[in-house]
Amino acid sequence: MRDTHHLPFLLGCLAALLLLPFVLQATGSSYLISTATRLVVFAIAAVSLDLLIGYTGLVSFGHAAFLGVGAYTVGILSFHAYEDTTLIGLPGTLSGLVAIPLALALSALAALIVGALSLRTRGVYFIMITLSFGQMLFFLFVSLEQYGGDDGMMMFEGRNRLPLLDLNDRISFYYFCLAWFVLFFWFCTWLVRSKFGRTLAAIKQNQDRLSSIGINAYWAKLQVFVIAGVGAGLAGALSANHTEFVSPALTHWTRSGDLMIVVILGGMGTLVGPVLGTFLFLLLEEFLPLILRGLGLGLLSEHWRFVFGPILILVVLYAKTGLYGLIFPRRG
Amino acid sequence: MLEIRNLCKSFGALKAADDVSLTVERGTIHALIGPNGAGKTTLIALLSGYLQPTSGAIAFDGRDLLAVPTHLRPHAGLVRSFQITSVFPEMTVRENVCLVLQSVAGQARSLFRLAAADRAEQEEADATLARVGLIDQADALTGNLAHGQKRQVEIAMALAARPKLLLLDEPTAGMGVEESRRIMDLLESLRDSVTMLLVEHDMDVVFGLADRVSVLVYGKVIASDTPERIRVNADVQEAYLGDHELHGEGD
Repeated sequence: MRDTHHLPFLLGCLAALLLLPFVLQATGSSYLISTATRLVVFAIAAVSLDLLIGYTGLVSFGHAAFLGVGAYTVGILSFHAYEDTTLIGLPGTLSGLVAIPLALALSALAALIVGALSLRTRGVYFIMITLSFGQMLFFLFVSLEQYGGDDGMMMFEGRNRLPLLDLNDRISFYYFCLAWFVLFFWFCTWLVRSKFGRTLAAIKQNQDRLSSIGINAYWAKLQVFVIAGVGAGLAGALSANHTEFVSPALTHWTRSGDLMIVVILGGMGTLVGPVLGTFLFLLLEEFLPLILRGLGLGLLSEHWRFVFGPILILVVLYAKTGLYGLIFPRRG
Repeated sequence: MLEIRNLCKSFGALKAADDVSLTVERGTIHALIGPNGAGKTTLIALLSGYLQPTSGAIAFDGRDLLAVPTHLRPHAGLVRSFQITSVFPEMTVRENVCLVLQSVAGQARSLFRLAAADRAEQEEADATLARVGLIDQADALTGNLAHGQKRQVEIAMALAARPKLLLLDEPTAGMGVEESRRIMDLLESLRDSVTMLLVEHDMDVVFGLADRVSVLVYGKVIASDTPERIRVNADVQEAYLGDHELHGEGD
């Protein structure tokens, strides 16, 4: 709950994110707007995962599955709109007013099913079973030959259509994603400070004690699992719109791993942390290969993760609460 | 209030509860004593639902307790405290009690109320903390408290659940004389509002508080009587002396 007191910092970040497109345009680097869009979209997924890992102590290793559900919902609807065909009797659509809510609903449903089964286990078993569900969805998407199999598919009709807002304009789309990010972040801030948030903290600290004070930990965990799944589904739907492309790679277990890395790197159990983690992760992903190539280390630039790994280990070893802990050292 | 009938619990060949029958009358403080390994904590776990019995029946407040899921037993009025302190270490003392209060109010999964905004809840928590003598530690992190104080938090949490029957598993274990005295006074003051089943090693506490004492040895109830008659019961003396354990000795 500590990170909810940094209002000036949060407002500063918000102002920076709002002004970013203008700054990038003025400096002639407007190609980076796309990177900034990735940042806010990926940050939604990271924050949602932190609700599980950082706030409830549930190490979910299949979170990317819900990214996939959100993205494929948008992608498949777009595919049928383009082909002018139907899916189980229903037409496709490009309307964002249909596709995005449906993406959220389906990711909630997927999270409900996965959560209902996997939350019966704990610890390492929970990690393994969420990983298994993630991979099940990955192979499900790979098997969808009609939608490109493991190559994925392009959304030939472009991004979703919305009244009054042209999502195909990259600045409009950036603000669209930013609005979702701010909304979701605010919601999570509220959640972790609510009575439900207190129950989640109790689960993390001493789960076995809960039933003796009359709380069924299972339902509370399922509730947060579904909420987090919807967050990831939202990120998936936005990501599909952003790249106008969906593929099973989005749900691969390494993607779940990336999300976990971002949360740990940024600082578990804080909401600002995963956003910082996302920022650093994308920055390194984008620029580490360039830096390494600049240093004449061409081979390493192809395998930039080889350098990224040790950086991560150092952060975990020396900054227990990640980047967040470096920026906001704990008082006392 | 509580009626245990022919309750059995086996762990393989070990009978931790062997045909236990026990009645706790409403409005009494009923103590459960017995040597180490007699099955006292097992009995508490069976009552609170942490363990399921092999056979037998338990009636609580006119209903079949075994049909009530563990997490609903506190809502039915049956609340336990733990022998080994089990609190939420990274929360303040007040928050520990508030957590119980929000459970009682059915708001454990409520997204609509901010935890810090519920003044009435905090005042009730503070009132409960005042009762157990912990009000000056309300804002301290529970994990940083001394052992005895954590035990007081346990009792505050149990009281906050508004129990009809309180299962106290060694409430004074590891406490200093003064803290122990305070808990005894507290339990004494609750006598009229709450029925208690008290597992205790400290015979001063047992004979100071209990209206009735049951003695458990190797999973069997060997005697159930008033404290005066338990004190002179030959079987009880045999059981304790036979185990080389004398009166008034804690673990």
